[in-house]
Amino acid sequence: MKPLNLLALLVFLGGLTWALTRSERSVREIQATYYRAISPFLTVGSALETRAREFLDEVEHSKMLEAEVEAMREDFGRLKLIESQFRKVEAENATLRRALDFQERTRFEVVAARVTRRQPATWWQTVEIDRGEDSGIATAYTVVTDQGLVGKIDRLGDHRSTVLLLTDEACQVSAKVEGSPEVGIVQGQREQFGGAPRLRLRFLSRDARLREGMRVFSTGRGGLFPADLLLGEIDRVEPGPLASEAIVRPSVDFQNLGTVFVLTPQKEES
Amino acid sequence: MIRYTASLVLLVLLAVIVQQFIPAFTPLFGSRLMLVVLVFLCSASTVPAPVMLMLAFLCGFLTDAENAIGPHGGDPEVYTRPVEPLRFGYSIALYAALGFLMQGIQPLFRQGKWQFSAILSGIAVFLYLLVEYLLINFVRGGFSFNRWTFLRIAFSSGITMLLSPLVFWLLFQLADRSRYTIRFDGIRRRKRQPAF
Repeated sequence: MKPLNLLALLVFLGGLTWALTRSERSVREIQATYYRAISPFLTVGSALETRAREFLDEVEHSKMLEAEVEAMREDFGRLKLIESQFRKVEAENATLRRALDFQERTRFEVVAARVTRRQPATWWQTVEIDRGEDSGIATAYTVVTDQGLVGKIDRLGDHRSTVLLLTDEACQVSAKVEGSPEVGIVQGQREQFGGAPRLRLRFLSRDARLREGMRVFSTGRGGLFPADLLLGEIDRVEPGPLASEAIVRPSVDFQNLGTVFVLTPQKEES
Repeated sequence: MIRYTASLVLLVLLAVIVQQFIPAFTPLFGSRLMLVVLVFLCSASTVPAPVMLMLAFLCGFLTDAENAIGPHGGDPEVYTRPVEPLRFGYSIALYAALGFLMQGIQPLFRQGKWQFSAILSGIAVFLYLLVEYLLINFVRGGFSFNRWTFLRIAFSSGITMLLSPLVFWLLFQLADRSRYTIRFDGIRRRKRQPAF
């Protein structure tokens, strides 16, 4: 081997070792820097893409009408979500007042975001949205639609972020089945293609009595996702020797995600 | 040489940006055009090993910066079996291994037989995706490999390979402008001496 090649190989191995030993925090910083660097290009690209799409849309629809419908759709989804959260908070408030004379001082805030890119990676089930750190979003924040849980924020940029979808194997949610004492962990499956992804509800009891159509909600345990977010419906149950598993049909239509909402943490009123 | 290397770095950065706007081909099992990988593989055929390693580091680093997902997080008492992500930096090693593979037939490429390198780039993309998928299986446990996964890998490799002649053409243009010699570098056919 030539001395120059040997030297290059040693330098490369040193660089590889450096990269492989980066801490999680360093990796996040690298990713944030990367997103910041490519952000101007993406913004210009998105603007061009949007302009082209608007031009094509104008052939069939009025631009103004399109914008109005989009805004109304966003508002409708947001209001529906706020209403459901409001009802939950109201019920919780009443219960706590009755039991402990405790006044609930928390509320949800939501940030509406548009899905700008679907499936940007080969093996991960992710989408990109047009809101980032500048909109008050942070890593691991919950993302929902009015249909239910979408996923959580994974990578974060100033003006955009990546959402790890519920259908990805790496996204796990502590879940409960409505009308049953069963609790478990819902997660996506590794090899899912096509328009009908399925989730797997693991760690159920061996003789879990579940029926098709029973709804699955988040429990709120584990510190990642709030309670009572709809995840899907039971499709079928697969009994096992030690524990049963259930296949869950997601409530969200992941193929047609347009507008999503990021739940920002509950703030205490001063 | 320096000008050509600099233009390759710029080409890689351009490929990273263009890659952002290339959607996945949903009807073809979600396969995708792996532009950054392709630019690296084609470039690896045209440069010596040190430059190839530098490009491998750059491409792998950028690929992981874009794609690496974070740990699951949450309460370990509730999430007792979190799914492990792939370690940041694994792509750098993958790129380097494939770069050496491309350099294996560099003498043929330098003779002007770029077709072999084009086919090998398709095979290399196939290997890249296959090894990546096997790594996921290894790290997360529970081996599974179905027909859909195979087709996704195969179509991604095929689509990417189809674009390789264009990238080679682009590299030849860059080499011309940078006064860098790709072809016939160090390889000369010996002229037959007359017997008498």
